[in-house]
Amino acid sequence: MLIQTAQLRKDVETSEGILHILKPTDLKIEAGETVAIVGASGSGKSTLLSLLAGLDLASAGDVSIDNVNLGDLDEEQRAKIRADKVGFIFQSFLLIPSLTALENVMLPAELAGHKQAEAQARELLSKVGLGDRLTHYPNQLSGGEQQRVAIARAFVGTPKILFADEPTGNLDATTGHKVEDLLFQMNQDSGTTLVMVTHDSELAERCQRVLRMEAGKLTEVTRDVA
Amino acid sequence: MWHKISWRLLKQELRRGELTIMAAAIVLSVTAVLSLALFTERLQAGLTERSAEFLAADRVLSSRRDIPEEWLSRAQDEGLQTADRVVFNSMAFANDELALVDVKAVSEGYPLRGELRTAQQPFAADQVADDLPAGGEAWVAAALFQELNLSVGDTLEIGNSEFEVTRVLTYEPDVGFSVFTDSPNVLINYSELEATGLIQPGSRVRFNVLFAGENDDLMRYEEWLKPQLNDDTHNWRSIEDGDSPLARSLRRAERFMLLASLLGVVLAATAVAVAAQRYCQRNYDVVAIFKTLGGQRRQIQKIFILHLLLLTGFSIATGLLLGWLIQGQVVDLVARYFDVNLPAGSGRGYLLAAGTGLVSAVMFTLYPLLRLIEIPPLRVLNREMTGTDRWRWLHWVASGGTIYLLLWLYSQQWLLSTALFAGGALAAVVLLFVSRFFIRASRQAGMQAGSAWRLAMAGLQRRAQANSVQMLSFSTAIMLLLLVLALRHELLADWQEQLPDDAPNFFLVNVAQENVAPLKARFEQRDLEINEMYPIVPGRMTAVNDVAVVDEVSKEQAEGETAPAAEQREGFGRELSLTWRDTLPPNNTVVAGEWWGDDPQPQVSIESEVAERMRLGVGDELTFNIGGQVFTVPVTSVREVNWGSLQPNFYMIFNTATLADFPATYISSFNLPEDRKSELYELFKPFPQVSLIDLDAIMEQLREVIEQVSIAILFVLILVIVAGVLVLLAQVQASMEERQKELVILRTLGAPAKLLSRSVTYEFVVLGAISGLIATLAMELSLYILQTQVFELAATFHWRFWLIGPIAGAVIVGSMGRLACARLIRRNTAQLIRRLG
Repeated sequence: MLIQTAQLRKDVETSEGILHILKPTDLKIEAGETVAIVGASGSGKSTLLSLLAGLDLASAGDVSIDNVNLGDLDEEQRAKIRADKVGFIFQSFLLIPSLTALENVMLPAELAGHKQAEAQARELLSKVGLGDRLTHYPNQLSGGEQQRVAIARAFVGTPKILFADEPTGNLDATTGHKVEDLLFQMNQDSGTTLVMVTHDSELAERCQRVLRMEAGKLTEVTRDVA
Repeated sequence: MWHKISWRLLKQELRRGELTIMAAAIVLSVTAVLSLALFTERLQAGLTERSAEFLAADRVLSSRRDIPEEWLSRAQDEGLQTADRVVFNSMAFANDELALVDVKAVSEGYPLRGELRTAQQPFAADQVADDLPAGGEAWVAAALFQELNLSVGDTLEIGNSEFEVTRVLTYEPDVGFSVFTDSPNVLINYSELEATGLIQPGSRVRFNVLFAGENDDLMRYEEWLKPQLNDDTHNWRSIEDGDSPLARSLRRAERFMLLASLLGVVLAATAVAVAAQRYCQRNYDVVAIFKTLGGQRRQIQKIFILHLLLLTGFSIATGLLLGWLIQGQVVDLVARYFDVNLPAGSGRGYLLAAGTGLVSAVMFTLYPLLRLIEIPPLRVLNREMTGTDRWRWLHWVASGGTIYLLLWLYSQQWLLSTALFAGGALAAVVLLFVSRFFIRASRQAGMQAGSAWRLAMAGLQRRAQANSVQMLSFSTAIMLLLLVLALRHELLADWQEQLPDDAPNFFLVNVAQENVAPLKARFEQRDLEINEMYPIVPGRMTAVNDVAVVDEVSKEQAEGETAPAAEQREGFGRELSLTWRDTLPPNNTVVAGEWWGDDPQPQVSIESEVAERMRLGVGDELTFNIGGQVFTVPVTSVREVNWGSLQPNFYMIFNTATLADFPATYISSFNLPEDRKSELYELFKPFPQVSLIDLDAIMEQLREVIEQVSIAILFVLILVIVAGVLVLLAQVQASMEERQKELVILRTLGAPAKLLSRSVTYEFVVLGAISGLIATLAMELSLYILQTQVFELAATFHWRFWLIGPIAGAVIVGSMGRLACARLIRRNTAQLIRRLG
């Protein structure tokens, strides 16, 4: 089991009392699966994603990646897990504005200490069709191009898991579809596990499993056995 | 790997101009400190060398008895030049006439600084003398030629010796400024001294040794010598110790430059602090992304510490280069303009400047950097997350400590640093409260105004906390600028007043009572102005409260073994110039007792330093002997006298009833323009017994020194202004970033550019105006303290600044805000949204 949660819960204290953002959740994701988490804004999708990725700590329950319980790890150890096993794609791309496309893509590999960071990054960028834009800065690229850089960055460390938070949320329909195609294509090529948060049901349909989040409660919608 | 990332970030950010403000702040602090330190150091050395002429040496050791041979040989070993100078009063005889003179016996090498000038005849053109009177010769001041009816070639008797008068002494560098209290000078060779028989144990003589040499050698010697000096018998002086107008000017200029430099350093450091905060905030997202992508805390720490150090190193190097170039240019300019040689600066300035840059960059970034490294990775999903606040106390401690450290590093004076720091801290707290109050008040005022105003005032109120901190830095910057501006103005005005273009350049003494009216008439006839005539009666003070004063020094005292007994005061040892008048003279202030007005009771007013030295006060009874007539009067007031005024000043002033019946001569002063000097002979032809003292040479030198100092001050002012503008710029830039989000929302909602631009401008105008007002208030208070406590100036109120402060604040801050806003508004909304991410 690549990702597993047991009674995973997240509460937040507010002035009006405790808010249960994520109700106790049990979830298992196998290696190579593609999973979509859908739901309305504020339903708790992103919270679940942040807990699964070890970006945030749960109020109760466990979450493990590759049989390592993230709750037993400190910030540093969780970062190491992310460096070794996780890639990210965000709605707002989150590229570093002062680094070029190539440097942005190299970054995770460098942080993980890979020697071939640059060669890997060049290869990935040409794979996403940006081989001629290596030295461009994020603000010199269109939204679709920026997200393609982000996809290349997500794959650079050959991660086992890819977390995507509304990857096409900031793009127009045509560009969005192109980015989707690219994302699924690369995911398939590398056999990565994809966990994607989206409110786009069409995009969710392309995943093997769809989970629905409603008011902090997660339910399985379909299970594609094909 | 982390160093590559760090280097790459720095390279790209520098290229893209994202680090401009931070780099500029460090560059400026280094540039400012370096050029200030180097320039002031070099200028001071240059000025001291120049003004050393007034001492005829760099240092003078005076003593009541012979100076040990060992001290002199040690000085020579240290590479210093020395010369002897002995000064004493004596009677001189010539042509059956008798006069009291100051005899000055000097040895080879005199004067060590400056030059002697002599002429062949009284009032003839003079020239530099590169020799000294030979044995048996004397050079004599013009005044004595008149008094003793001398001609060149006549014989002058002093003590047991006879001297042939060979030249007229027209200028001695060390003649001093107290022209009225000195008798005319006679210069003889040191080798002739013993033969006169006037130097006996107990005779009232000052032995002086003049020293000149390199500053380092002098300091080393001074260190060795000082512990051996006896305060009762020895006096070690440099030009800055004196009470001459020049010494005062130099002291003030030095204090001003030190203070202005300190303020410049504080301003530059503030700019670094503001920029450092922004530097770290700008990297919040980057750190969150790093962490999300698996960056380890330690990696990130290393990346940003190296990034900061590289940035600091780059900025310090640029700053050092720039500072060196700037001060070189200014020094060149000063040297060319004034024909003065400024010695090279030492390494201290470079160390100080680099240290300032490093310390401010590191210390001011400490807390923002800690916060930065604590940024949680979750920020990638929740942009509001800014991490922990638990290090805030460290921020205040680090920032306060840094400012204090910088003040001390620069001034090396605990007291001054502590005073400035404590004052600044207090002012900051007050400013914080006052600015909150103003913001609240302006919000209420804004409610009644149009939409741009309302938006502006709402913005002000909403960001009250951030704004009051901003206002603090605006106010500090404006206040320091106003302060330096006002102080410069005060100093220049004071010097100008001291040395106006029509300052008297001639003094005349020895005007007989019956000549006063004709002399005045003659001046009027020629359309020349003559200043007030002061009557002079020579007399001795013989007793205080019926106890005789000691005028002759006993043998034991002369050898420094005993001081005069407590009840026995030491007298002046010579005749004093006594005067009388009904009104308090200008440049005098009564500090104890009361001025007599028209009270006919006999009484005397004494000068404050004499009062202190001789332990005299109001109520003491002083006995005087004037031409054999002895009388006793009470002291009814003590006066503080501005000896720098180049006006006749007196130790003892009597009321008219006491002295008016004694025969008096009169003294006065006048200004004779250069082109009318040829009339001098004609002017005084009917009054042959009147003596003239030419002050032009001294005044010219004084003027030049003051002009050099003024240029230096202007330079310091410009640097401080640049530092101030940078603080404002950094602050506006930082606050613009905070406003960006709001602007984007308003713009997206369709607010017209004009409305946004206006509301931002108004907000900054109000911020600027309030800051300007607060700054003026703070400036007025600080100036009052500085004028009265540091600069020996009279306190003044600067009403003009109450207008200039708020208006300048509003205009400068407002236009900076408008410019920064215009840059944002020029982009289209989509670009703005993308920038926000």
